[in-house]
Amino acid sequence: MIRTLSALMMMCLLAFALAGLLPAQEAKVPAGIETNTVKIPGTTVSFEMVRIPGGKIEMPPKEPGGEPVVVEIKPIWVGRTELTFEAYDIFYMQLDLTEDQKAAGVDAESRPSKPYGAPDRGFGHDGYAAISVHSRGAIEFCNWLSKKTGKKYRLLTAAEWAYACRAGGPPVKLDREALSEVAWFADNSDEQPHPVASKKPNAWGLYDMLGNVGEWVIGMDGKPMLAGGSWRDRAAQVHCGALVPYSIEWQFTDPQEPKSTWWLSDGPHVGFRIARED
Amino acid sequence: MIKSAAVASAALMANLGSNFAHAAGSDLIRVGLIGCGGRGSGAAVDATSAAENVRVVALGDLFPNRLAEARKRFADRPKERFDITDDRCFSGWDAYKQVLECGVDMVILATPPAFRPMHIKAAVEAGKHIFAEKPCAVDPAGVRMVMEASDLAKQKGLAIVAGTQRRHQSTYLETIRRIKDGAIGELVAGQCYWNQGGLWSVRRTPEMSDMEWQVRNWLYFTWLSGDHIVEQHVHNIDVMNWVIGAHPVSAYGMGGRQVRTGEQFGHIYDHFTIEYVYPNDVRVMSMCRQIDNNDNRIGEYIMGTQGRSNCSGQITGANAWRFQGRGNNPTVQEHTDLIASIRAGTPLNEGRQIAESTLTAIMGRMSAYTGKTVRWEQALNSTLNLMPEKLEFGPLPTPEVAMPGRTPLV
Repeated sequence: MIRTLSALMMMCLLAFALAGLLPAQEAKVPAGIETNTVKIPGTTVSFEMVRIPGGKIEMPPKEPGGEPVVVEIKPIWVGRTELTFEAYDIFYMQLDLTEDQKAAGVDAESRPSKPYGAPDRGFGHDGYAAISVHSRGAIEFCNWLSKKTGKKYRLLTAAEWAYACRAGGPPVKLDREALSEVAWFADNSDEQPHPVASKKPNAWGLYDMLGNVGEWVIGMDGKPMLAGGSWRDRAAQVHCGALVPYSIEWQFTDPQEPKSTWWLSDGPHVGFRIARED
Repeated sequence: MIKSAAVASAALMANLGSNFAHAAGSDLIRVGLIGCGGRGSGAAVDATSAAENVRVVALGDLFPNRLAEARKRFADRPKERFDITDDRCFSGWDAYKQVLECGVDMVILATPPAFRPMHIKAAVEAGKHIFAEKPCAVDPAGVRMVMEASDLAKQKGLAIVAGTQRRHQSTYLETIRRIKDGAIGELVAGQCYWNQGGLWSVRRTPEMSDMEWQVRNWLYFTWLSGDHIVEQHVHNIDVMNWVIGAHPVSAYGMGGRQVRTGEQFGHIYDHFTIEYVYPNDVRVMSMCRQIDNNDNRIGEYIMGTQGRSNCSGQITGANAWRFQGRGNNPTVQEHTDLIASIRAGTPLNEGRQIAESTLTAIMGRMSAYTGKTVRWEQALNSTLNLMPEKLEFGPLPTPEVAMPGRTPLV
């Protein structure tokens, strides 16, 4: 009897999964792709990483009319989702420091300033990608996590990011219907970001590479760029080659001078994904 | 307000504005910045980018190092917008007077709020137009000073624009215009929130006197900031007064200091909840909190008999509507409107408006600190005056944390 019930439940679950009704997090990582779960030391917060295989990718020419650049990609661990607020909170609110450490100014220069207002913009917090984050915050988060764990965390390069986004596929732009399966963008986002991993992952098990929040990467010239498009963008701007530079528009209403080097007052679409070298 | 550019050119053609020898028409407007922190500096940049022919020429700050930082910040900017020389840079307690005396047409007042009433008064007496950051006071005595100065400004044809920038934000302006036209029927109730994490603080160093440390770390002392309900939440409270079209009749509130209790956080509270009763028994629930790692919420909501609105771009119910487009940059727009009004000879005067919104926040704080219901007239006529007897560097004990039921209502 119990078995039957279980079998029935299994069948239901399978049906739900096929219908895409199961929480997307339950979806399996493809065979042959290694994953691991990392717990931030001294906290209850953890995140998942996927080891993507090495290969090559052709990147656009550095200058108009130039030759495309072929970049060799080494295998690397990539965050399975965009970095969420649970993890970024620990870093920016210094939840890992004691009052005495804070008083002594531990990490004072390498932690974000206290944000004015609400960085999550009221869209949602736990389970949502950390947003309003300037590139400095994304880079320093990786440095902080490296120190905490003894492993080398960093942002992906633009080439690594595009390569991870394509997941072995060709460079295509998805039509709106296909894009809707894997991405939150202007047509389906209801003008806000959504919990990470609530759309289907790509072939390597990575969620929200396209859309949801734009992701900080290191561009070919070493400058931070935002990759993948976001919940604000139309379908044409949401693809594996989408790459835009920082815009002052993302700090349009920051009333301070100088403007924050940590927070983007008008960057509700700006987040990041972490990577690990070994 | 937004149409002021058109008004400005019409006025120009009509050759109005003869009262304003130094600032009418398209004449250069020389600006003095009093309070050179991040916001003051931001306001200076906003003012110079809000209109042509606006130039920051003088700086004043209590602290020489803050003054020097601001000078450095502006050093590389175009001379036609920032022309700051040694003889027009002042520090110390009287720096504001020196800025007022050095040939400016307009001042930006962006020191900690405690000093705003005396700066507004002095600027009006000196015949200067004013951009005053919010809030405009921390206690009833200061609010009354601002109200009087504001009336005098009206007589003298001087402009006062306050840093409650939502009043100049297109999403708010368009939404509230519709609500006032009846889009949600008769107003019934509202809620407003500024719940966020903690803000910056300044650690005390051994060489700092009590006074120096408190002024540098001004957010955490009620005599300087008014507490965060006044310093920050005034933005949302101001929207409630604006949309309802009145100040409240009474405030009934509570609050406390529960998490942010370290010495560096002075004696202010970290959370408040106030019920404001407006005319016609319209009730507004106001919440503000500055505690890390809590769910945030910032905004203003109003309910009517035929719908509801977030006051900033969305109306639901019988006349559902959504603002289209991106909206303007309100912290620049407030200067555009201010300058256009000066040039048109029809100076904006938001003095009473910001004084009333500031007092609304103060009466909420008074209720929470004491545990008593506070009526508008009580707050307006209260003898509460938080300014220390002497403004000088020296000893100044941190006040006790207010205890409802024990702290007297004055």
